[in-house]
Parts: sequence; C-alpha cells; structure tokens
Amino acid sequence: MDSKKPELLQGTLDLLILKTLAPGPLHGYGIAQRILLTSRGTLDVQQGSLYPALHRLERKQIVESEWRESENGRMAKFYSLTRTGRKQLAAELEQWQRYAQAIGWVLEG
Amino acid sequence: MQFWWKRKESELDREMRYHLESLAEAFERQGDSRAEAMARARREFGGVEQVKERCRDERRWRPAAEFSRDLGYGWRMLRKAPAVSGMAVLSLALGIGATTAIVSLADAVLWRSLAVPAPEQLSEILWQSKGRSRDVFSSSSGSMYPEGPLHVADFFSHLAFDTLRERMAGRAEVAAPRDSNPVSLSVESASSVANLRPVSGNFFPLLGVQPALGRLLISTDDRASAPFVAVATHRFWRTGLRGDPKTIGRAMRINNRSYTIAGVLPERFGGISPGESTDLYTTIEHSPGMLDPNSWERTAATDPFAWGLQLLARRAPGVSNDQLRAGMDPVFRSTWAGQPKDPATTPEIRVQDAANGIGGVRRELGNPLTMLFVLVTLVLLVACANIANLLLARSDARRKEVALRLSLGCSRARLMRQFLTESLLLAGCGGLLSIAVTYAVANFAVTLMPGSPRLDFSIDPRMVFATLAVTALTAAAFGVYPAWSATRVDAAPALKEGGGSVGGVRHGFLTPGKLLVLAQVSLGVLLVAAAAAFTAHLRKTLSAETGFDRTRLLLFDLRPGESGYRGDRLKDFYLRLERRLSEVPQVKTVGLARIRPMKGGGYFDGIAMPGRTARIGTAVNFVSASYLDALGVSIVDGRGIEAREVREGARVAVVSEDFAAELGRNPLGVAFQMDGKPVEIVGVAARARYGRLNRQENVLYLPNSLGQDSITVVLRTAAKPLQALAGVREAVASLDPNLPIVNAVTMEQQIASTLRREILFAWLCGAFGVLALILCMVGLYGVMSYAVSRRRQEIGVRIALGASPRDVWRLVVAEGLGVTLAGCGLGILTAWWAAQKFLDYRRLAMDPVEPWVLVWAAAALVVSAALALLGPAIRAASTDPVKSLREG
Repeated sequence: MDSKKPELLQGTLDLLILKTLAPGPLHGYGIAQRILLTSRGTLDVQQGSLYPALHRLERKQIVESEWRESENGRMAKFYSLTRTGRKQLAAELEQWQRYAQAIGWVLEG
Repeated sequence: MQFWWKRKESELDREMRYHLESLAEAFERQGDSRAEAMARARREFGGVEQVKERCRDERRWRPAAEFSRDLGYGWRMLRKAPAVSGMAVLSLALGIGATTAIVSLADAVLWRSLAVPAPEQLSEILWQSKGRSRDVFSSSSGSMYPEGPLHVADFFSHLAFDTLRERMAGRAEVAAPRDSNPVSLSVESASSVANLRPVSGNFFPLLGVQPALGRLLISTDDRASAPFVAVATHRFWRTGLRGDPKTIGRAMRINNRSYTIAGVLPERFGGISPGESTDLYTTIEHSPGMLDPNSWERTAATDPFAWGLQLLARRAPGVSNDQLRAGMDPVFRSTWAGQPKDPATTPEIRVQDAANGIGGVRRELGNPLTMLFVLVTLVLLVACANIANLLLARSDARRKEVALRLSLGCSRARLMRQFLTESLLLAGCGGLLSIAVTYAVANFAVTLMPGSPRLDFSIDPRMVFATLAVTALTAAAFGVYPAWSATRVDAAPALKEGGGSVGGVRHGFLTPGKLLVLAQVSLGVLLVAAAAAFTAHLRKTLSAETGFDRTRLLLFDLRPGESGYRGDRLKDFYLRLERRLSEVPQVKTVGLARIRPMKGGGYFDGIAMPGRTARIGTAVNFVSASYLDALGVSIVDGRGIEAREVREGARVAVVSEDFAAELGRNPLGVAFQMDGKPVEIVGVAARARYGRLNRQENVLYLPNSLGQDSITVVLRTAAKPLQALAGVREAVASLDPNLPIVNAVTMEQQIASTLRREILFAWLCGAFGVLALILCMVGLYGVMSYAVSRRRQEIGVRIALGASPRDVWRLVVAEGLGVTLAGCGLGILTAWWAAQKFLDYRRLAMDPVEPWVLVWAAAALVVSAALALLGPAIRAASTDPVKSLREG
C-alpha cells in the first residue's frame, strides 16, 4: 500500500512468523499486528501471504494450531511452535544472522 | 473424509472471518462507522477466496492438490456436455463390462487350473478313430465327438481300465471318474435330489486332494464287500447338510440305500470339469447303477464289448503325454475282445492335457467362447474409438482456451496433465460402471449355458485388476493423442480465430476423427454380420422340423425304483400309472419311454442286420404302446407296438423311415439279433427327431420292459401342458404319495434346454451387434456435429452466396455417408475374410455364412448412419447466415 514500506525479502516471512510465535501462541491477525508493531510500522505482512504461509508451516508440523478464546472474547485459531518449530527457528535465526553479517561486510567494504 | 473436509473448510472460513472482524474493530476504534469499518477491512484484506484457495493448496501435497483441481475442472467440463459425456462413459462401461464378463467366463471354463497339487501332470485319456468302429465295442456310455475326419471318444471297458492301471504303474496312475447323475437322497428324513459322481477308489489319492473334514475315498472302499461310504463337496455339505461337522460318520440314504458320510472335500476343490455340478462322490462299486443287477452298468463291468468308463491319469514326473500315449496304445489293443474289420477304423489312444479339467463343457464352449472373446474385444475397440473421438473433438473445441492458458504462462506439460486427468476421469467413471455390467452379463450368460453349470464368479482379484488395467490403458491410449494435439496449438493464430472459423483447422476428408469412424464402421459391419449370422442360425435350428407337434406336450420323470419298487411290483406300478394318468381330464394320450425325447443325447447302438456286413447305427428308445401316438409320430407302414406286447415283453420293433431307407429293402418281417435273441420289425414310423433339433439319426423303437428304475412320461395334453400338471400330481400321489415328480417341463422348454449354447451365443452376438451399431451411431453423430459446428461460418457464407438448404444438407450427408460407405466396404472384406478363416462351421453345426448376411449388415450400418447424420444435417441446413457470420 504504502510505497515507503519495503518489500518483504523472499524467504523471510517464515522466519518472522516463527520469531513472533516464540513467546507464545498467537492468532493470524495478532501475528500480523505484532510484526507491524515490532517493525515500527515498516513491515505490513499481507494476509494473502500470511495465511498460506501459516498453513504451509502447519502442514510441515513446524507450527500447530488450536481454537481458543481470544482477548476480544471470540474464538480464534491460535498458532504455536512445535518442537521442530523451535529447532527450525534457532537454525534459521543463526543462518539469517550470518547472512545479514555477510551482507553488512559487503556493503561496508 | 467428507466430514474432515467440511470441518477444515469451516475452520478456514472462521479464521478468515476472525481476521476481517478484528481488522474492522481496529478501524472502528480509529473512528469509522461500523459499516465503513467493515468495508475498509474488506478492501484491506483483498480477495478472501483467493487467500482461502492458496491456503487449501498449501495444506495439500502439491501434485495431489493440482490433481484434485484438475479433477474438479474436468468434472465441470464433463458436466457441461452431459449427453456426450454420458454416452462416452456408457460406451466405455458397456465395452469394458462385456469384455470382462466374457474373459471371466473364458477363464472359468478354459484357463483356470484345477485346484489340486501339480495339475500339469494330469491327462485325460481318450481314443480316436477314423469313422465309427463298431467291431471292438457294441454299446457305450460317454461322449463321442467329431474332430475333422476323426471321431474322438472318452469311454473304455472295465477290462481296459484295469489293465491300463496295472500295466502303466510307475509311468502313470489311472483313475476312472464316471459322469455325475441325479439320485434321490434323504438325510434325516428330508428328501432331495443330488448329483452323484461314482469314481474309482484311487481317484482322490491320484488328485492329491486333502479332505476338509473326515476322510476321502480310498482304494479299499471300491470293493463290493466294503461298507458303503460317500464324500460330500464343500458346497453340498454347507447347503444340503447345513454345514454341520457332526454329519461326518452319520448315515444318509442314496436311492434308498444307506451310505456313511465319510468326509467333506475342501472348498477350493470344484471338481474335475469346469462348471460341474457334482454334490456327492462314491465308489464305482457302490454306484446305484452297479448295484442294480439288471442295469447296463452291472453287465458292462464284465462285458469287454460294453465301454463306459472315463479315464483320468496322473503322469509320473518326466513322462510326457506322447510317451504315455505310446505306452498305453498296445495295452489298450490287448484288451479288445474283437478286432476291427476295417483297419482304418482302429481306435488309438489319445492323451490330452487335463490341467484345466476334462469334459464336455470345455469342448462345447471352448470355440464359441474364444470367438465371443474376439467379438467383445472388437466392441471394446469401437467403444474406445468413441472416447478418442469425443476427446479429440473437445480438444479441438478448446483450442482457444488452451491458447489463452499457454500465453498466460501455463506449461504444456501442465496442460497435458490436465487433459489426461480428464480422460482418466472419463475412463474411471466407465470402469466403475463396468463392474455392474460385468456381473449382469456374466450372470445372464451362465443362466443360458448348457446344463446349468456351476461356474465360480466370485470376485476374482485378477479380473478386477484386469478391468482396472484396461481402464487405465484406455485412458492413456485414447487420451494421449488428443492431449498432445490440443497442446500443440500455436497461441497467436488460435486466439485470433473466431468462434467457428475455418482458419488453421484441419477438416480435410481424412481427419483423425473420421479415420476413427471409418475403423468403427468396418468393425461394426463385422459385429453386426456376426450377430445376424448367429441369430439366423439359431432361428433356423429352432424352426427345424421335429416330426411331431411340439406344443401341448408335457414331460416328466418318475423314479419308483429308487423308492423300493422291484420286479413285478415295479411293472404293476407302471401299468397302473399309465391307466391312472390317462384318466386325468386334460390328458389325451400317455406315453412312457426309457429315454427322454430331445434330451440332447440318448442311447445309441449298432445293429447287425441279416444280409448286411455293416451294422446300422441307430438311436434306441424303449417305449410303451401309446408313446408314438402321444408324441405325435405316425406309423407309415405296418403297425405300432401293442400294449399286449409291452406287457409280455414281445420281441418286436418299429424302425424309423431313415432306418428303413438305410436297410434298403422293405423292413417289415425282417428279424435281427439283439442280445442273442431275434427281434422282428413290425412297423415303420415317420421320421422324427430323437435327441436334438439339429441332428436326425435313425431310430429304433422297442417295447419297454417296464423293469427300469426310472421312466420318462410323455403326455399329450388337451390344453396348455403345464395346466395339466396339477391333475398329474394328484394322479401320481394317488399311487404313491412319496414319489416325487422330477424335471417336469413342456416339450418346448425341453428343446430349448438342448439349444442353450446356440441361444447363449446368438443372444450375446446379437447384443454385441446392437451395441456396436449404437456405438457407431454415437461416434458418427459426434464427429459430424462437431464438423458442422466448426464449419458454421463457411456454411453461412455458402448460404449467403445462394446455396439452398438442400445443397448444405447434401454436403453434410455426403461427407458422413462417404465415411460410412468406405467403412462398410472395408468391413465387408474383413468380415468375409474372418468368416472363411476363423469359423469352425462343423463344430458349430451351422451353414457357411452367406454373402447376403454381410450386405445386410452393411445396409443396417448405412441406415443407422443416415439416422445419426439427420441431426447434424438439419442443424447445418438451418444455419442462419447472418448470425453465423456475426459470431466470428
């Protein structure tokens, strides 16, 4: 929407979702809001990619879901990390940091 | 599955809604009105359905997701043209179903091995000779059938059996299974009729069958002094003996004699000939025939001229059929009590593989089944051509869609997969439906088979697998070309093309679609010609002259001997029966006979006449005085047998006209020897059929001794034969309330029962012919209506330029009929060639196919083609030029 907002780098959405889910279970809307908030309004994840990503992660058993009551009193589908999910998160985080560092070196150099 | 799918769908729905509502709430908090907030949330969110669809995709394994999407799309495409799709599915179902049914039948009758260990070691022992050799045996029981110039027979004397068994020891074990015959049975005071097969004691040890319960027959059982035992088949044990394991060791009565039930055969063992209906086995020594001191079987046991045992052998490992034959031949000759006067007619041993069983069903049905198999395969081909045609037409019609998808970046492989999925869907529907067709056809065919064989049609995994394979193959073979040709579209021109324009579309004379129709029509001619030939043959057989009025005749059997009537009491019973039955109001005349007329076989003998060297081969019947009168056969010369002569057992005979003709002189007063005593011919009877409609043999009528265990009653009735049955039952019951009336049928039913093979064959061929005709019509209709729709613009131009509807009509009809006539020509040639090459007229006892049958079949195809063309032609002729030109 907003032209100032940068495109989400390919392959990073999964990592963002996993990181957002690390503290505890959250529903789809919450995940999008949390990412928007923590990126200080920079990363607005489109629903069109968020939900397919969540369903893909669920099929791969990286996240699992559960219906429970949300903060506004309605039932919502809450996603949480599985054991594989946590391992995946750690691995991807490390990979991302090495990648960011390398990019940084190149750009600074 | 359905439930799971629904739940997932509703979850997806709720998840999306939750998101939307949360968004709307956020906007509401920012100050929007409720409606505004909701609208804004929708805008923000974008296409809910697209997101959902992508989620669905993500949830499934990708190829599976694509496959199911293709399937859904294919299903919608099929439903868009329900008539055409329905036709395609139906043609496939009929084609595959009929094929599977015939293959199952062929499998059950021809190909399935016997359920015994090492069936490949089994051999059927027969003998063959050129012409009938009447000097080495005088009477026989068994079957003899012609094969080319040879006569092949399956009966041997007791002496031959014993000698072969003894002298072949080490090279082969030989056993004698006799034919099954109905007996009356009573188990725990319940009476019924069962089929009993007497076998030699080494029969089960030779086969190597292990009992399911108790024990089977062994050699020591086959002695006159041994206790009477019988063995039940698993089927009979389950139904006739209620599957009770405690029945082993108990007694049952067979023809009023007590037998101990020794054991039960395993379920898998279905006998030694396909479709056999044996319920019980006992030893030859204890068979009802052997126990009757007056029977032929009893005398045959010691008479080297009486041949009546069928032989089965198990070869020792390493012994071939040829070696066995060579070893048996001299032994066989050494057992003859006479020598053939004509050396050319000397019988010689013939050994045949018996791994798939022995007996008449195979011989009788083998050739017809093979032919049916070929015909039904052709029907399947015709059906497949229809599918291919439909797919071709559709792929052509979808050129624009394909071009659009290609230019939007869809890969050709992906598109081809889509098309193949659709043909698979079509084939799958057809395959599923074909299972029902299979059972219907198979059951129908079995009820029409001769001798109501019990063939096993339980679901055979191999058959299901074969059906599936055929289906998959059909889909692949007939979907690949259309799919390939559909995706070979060059996107730009195809998109530019109008809805029905001419540009770039092949519609020359030889399009693939038309070639398919051509092939279809020529196969159609072949199938219709086969149908016509065999139904004509059946009609001719059925209407053959019997020599007597076949309406208003009732036949049934009585078996007083099995209820303990013997000697004078038995004779008295028969005489009282004759009197009592003639008093029944609807009955006009009562005849008694030893051999049931028109039963398909009978008793044949060679009679030595004074002054002639060659014996006269003749069918024999032992009849009461009024038998010929009841049957409606007139005496043309001399007189008939008199009631007094029957009572006194006079040595007189009546011969048929054919017999007299073969004798070559006036037969009246001629005496011949029978059983060592002279018999005088006193009359000549008109020519009448004896055993079958399609065979006329000499007949010799002799007075019935009234001393046989059983008798056939022939009643000439005043009204419909079955109406007399109630009165007849009453009359019989008044003589003996416990005596059952066996096998009561009208003469017409009796005749039909001997023609079941012909009827079955004619019915199936006829059905296949009609099916082929319909399939061809569907095919031609499809191709031509498609061609017309492709040429709408061209036709519009023609009409606009002054062509009359008649010209257009002629254009379409000429094109369609051109293909049909070409196909007919090809079909006539093929059919003629096939009739010369493959039909075994001798075995089918039919006349050669005449050329008019082929012309007739071609005409039928041309007429149905014209009918199929009517629709497309009318549509073309009524094309509105303005409309059709604007459509482009």
